[in-house]
Amino acid sequence: MKLSIERVSKQYRGKVWALRDFTLDLRPGVLGLLGPNGAGKTTLMSILATITRATQGRVLWNDTDLAENPDAIRAVLGYLPQDFGVYPNLNAVEFLEYLAAVKGLDAAASRRRIDELLNLVNLADVRKRPLGGYSGGMKQRIGIAQALLNDPQLLIVDEPTAGLDPEERVRFRNLLSELSGERIIILSTHIVSDVEATATDIALISSGTLVAHATPEELLRQVEGKVWEQVVPSDQLTAAKQKYLISGTTRRSDGVHIRVLASAAPNGAQPLAPTLEDAYLYCLTAHRAGAAA
Amino acid sequence: MTSTRVLYHLVRADFLERVRRYSFLVTLAMAVYLGYGCFTGKVVARLDDYRGVYNSAWLGSLMTLVATVFLSLVGFYVVKNTIQRDQETRVGKILATTPMTKSFYTVAKMISNFAVLAAMVAVMALVALLMQALKAEDPNLDLWALLSPFVIFALPAMAFTGAMAVLFETLPVLRGGAGNVIYFFVWTALLAAPVASLDKGATVSRAAYFSDFTGIVSIMGQMQQDLHKIDPHYTHGSALTIGDTQTTRKFLWTGLRGSPALYLSRVTCVLLAVGLALLASLFFHRFDPAREWFSRKARKEREPAVANGEPVVTFTSPPQAAAHLTPLQRSQNAASLPRLVLAELKLMLKGHRWWWYAVAAGLFVASLVSPLEATHGGIAIVALLWPVLLWSQMGTREARFGTASLIFSSEGSLWRQLPAVWLAGVVVAAVTNGGLGIRLMAARDGHALTAWIACTLFVPSLALALGIWSGTSKTFEAVYTVWWYVGVANHMPGMDFLGTTAESARPAMFLMMAAALVVASYLGRRAKLAYA
Repeated sequence: MKLSIERVSKQYRGKVWALRDFTLDLRPGVLGLLGPNGAGKTTLMSILATITRATQGRVLWNDTDLAENPDAIRAVLGYLPQDFGVYPNLNAVEFLEYLAAVKGLDAAASRRRIDELLNLVNLADVRKRPLGGYSGGMKQRIGIAQALLNDPQLLIVDEPTAGLDPEERVRFRNLLSELSGERIIILSTHIVSDVEATATDIALISSGTLVAHATPEELLRQVEGKVWEQVVPSDQLTAAKQKYLISGTTRRSDGVHIRVLASAAPNGAQPLAPTLEDAYLYCLTAHRAGAAA
Repeated sequence: MTSTRVLYHLVRADFLERVRRYSFLVTLAMAVYLGYGCFTGKVVARLDDYRGVYNSAWLGSLMTLVATVFLSLVGFYVVKNTIQRDQETRVGKILATTPMTKSFYTVAKMISNFAVLAAMVAVMALVALLMQALKAEDPNLDLWALLSPFVIFALPAMAFTGAMAVLFETLPVLRGGAGNVIYFFVWTALLAAPVASLDKGATVSRAAYFSDFTGIVSIMGQMQQDLHKIDPHYTHGSALTIGDTQTTRKFLWTGLRGSPALYLSRVTCVLLAVGLALLASLFFHRFDPAREWFSRKARKEREPAVANGEPVVTFTSPPQAAAHLTPLQRSQNAASLPRLVLAELKLMLKGHRWWWYAVAAGLFVASLVSPLEATHGGIAIVALLWPVLLWSQMGTREARFGTASLIFSSEGSLWRQLPAVWLAGVVVAAVTNGGLGIRLMAARDGHALTAWIACTLFVPSLALALGIWSGTSKTFEAVYTVWWYVGVANHMPGMDFLGTTAESARPAMFLMMAAALVVASYLGRRAKLAYA
């Protein structure tokens, strides 16, 4: 099972390139696709989900070109878009039954699957209520359920935890980890903690290009020995922000504790263990500096 | 910021948002096409077999009539989405938090609607100007004679149309598809009432001025008076016709004569428009979800359950046990088309009130038990209009509810889901008008039965094609209602898709049109999918 993205580019009207020469090979596991807003994550997801066509390059699912046989990928695809709607007059069961029919699932199998999915996303209690009365988080959970309807081999989830409360977010992260055995999962987000909890691989994307593709450990190694904590008075915080790349601040009684990313230790700074957020910020900043040069 | 400035920016933003949409360009193209129709003689203001010499006065008045009659109908459907758009884009929620009053908002929306329609009127005025230069029947350009009918009649009519659109958007029942259908009948009544008085004689009464929001009576009444002075044998016949209409004689018409009653009627039309916009503010929900009917229903359902006086949390209660997912066998992916058709049918029928089904059932039973002539000539005609809001969802539902990415990323959406939608529409047509079908079968009337089958296939095909290509349910609601009224209700040959009379039935033609529309639907959907 493999998904190959080969030199994929996407140009929108107005000559805007959302993706440029994007190449990536994926095997079973969870890929965390991280990048700032407007980096091209959603465009890439839409191309992989056969919603939009790449301007250049190709996508291969088990060596089958998506342009030649899009149904090869659709048959095994579960897709949770960033923005999606529901039919407000249908209840959860009816909506999932409808999508199961659209996806071509057998009636008996889909009934059992829907029951399990509604339990999984914690909506079994409200299964008979019209979706129009659901909250944003509940609709998001319906979205998660529909993405899993056909037991997908390729699961693409775009900002899946948006609108979920902390408890549901944790449940979803655990679910992704459980599902990741024999399938490819692409988790697109800008929430680093979601990726930290689930991803076996990380792809950093910025301005439509691939900045890095590595395991979380490899990314963390890049910033090892480059993360420091320094305490500065409140009135010097602005100056410190101009001087250093800061990945976090915490106000305490002795001043503001700043988390600095730098090759050399600032004055009086103590070394810290790096986090994925540090690595993300460091890689992106280095990429931008390289692009500007 | 002053109120005027707020109003200006509100109208400007709304206007720019709309004129930069594809649908505006389409409507503009239609306006130009009508102008071209005037130029080629396909659209004619005819008085018996007379038409006016193409001077500034005649062309200005002719194009004004075309603009007011055409835009007061089509323009309504073009602009009746301004509040809905604020809701969909969620801009409304931001506006609702500003100090702006409801009446200010609805009046601003009325002005914005007016601005869009006035832009179309301006295009038609330009066409009139070009037409005089190109026709060259009268080389003398009189700008006032050419443009004054637009100012006096078209602009107030557009203000009225814009206000009606706002009122319809704020009224709960009329803001949806039902409003689109009902407006056609309101428009017909508004147009017909003063026109009836025009046929009785050449003198335009003061009451006719005030009931004549399009200006058709005021303008044609004066034309009639002037022609009668030239030709006493003129019989007061007059019409604004589209099609191959031959006029053999010309007369010189020097233009409109203003009168206090005329001007007052036009001012009244504008004031009425403002009044309608203010009236709309009484019903405007200010984007409060609690005032939406559906949300009321949903809120009621969201209320926590109570057990022994204690609320029971039902929504996010933690799972009793670890959830389990049974792996799905790939061979289980074998849903049949009939199951998908049933799913589409269920989706189509869900959400209607009990009385909708009661009326549909009543029409079905009535068409079974009534004399065949009454069924064919009356009940079946009504039964054919009743499901218009079911058909108008076809091809638009995915975009309207934002489910396109879920459905179009599924396997075989083009080959399975699209035919399923079409078949569901055919089933609706066959069942709602099934009483007539059964009666025709029993009567062994092969010709009428063929027409019934053609109708059953044609209507959903038209709905699907218009839905896919226009992306909105309004197009089918408007086009179908007009077509139904002209063709079926008035038994017009070539337009009567039900074949209500032997003379007006054209089953072969409608079967071919149905096939062409199915192909158009397929091509339209295919073009919208990244990978077909």
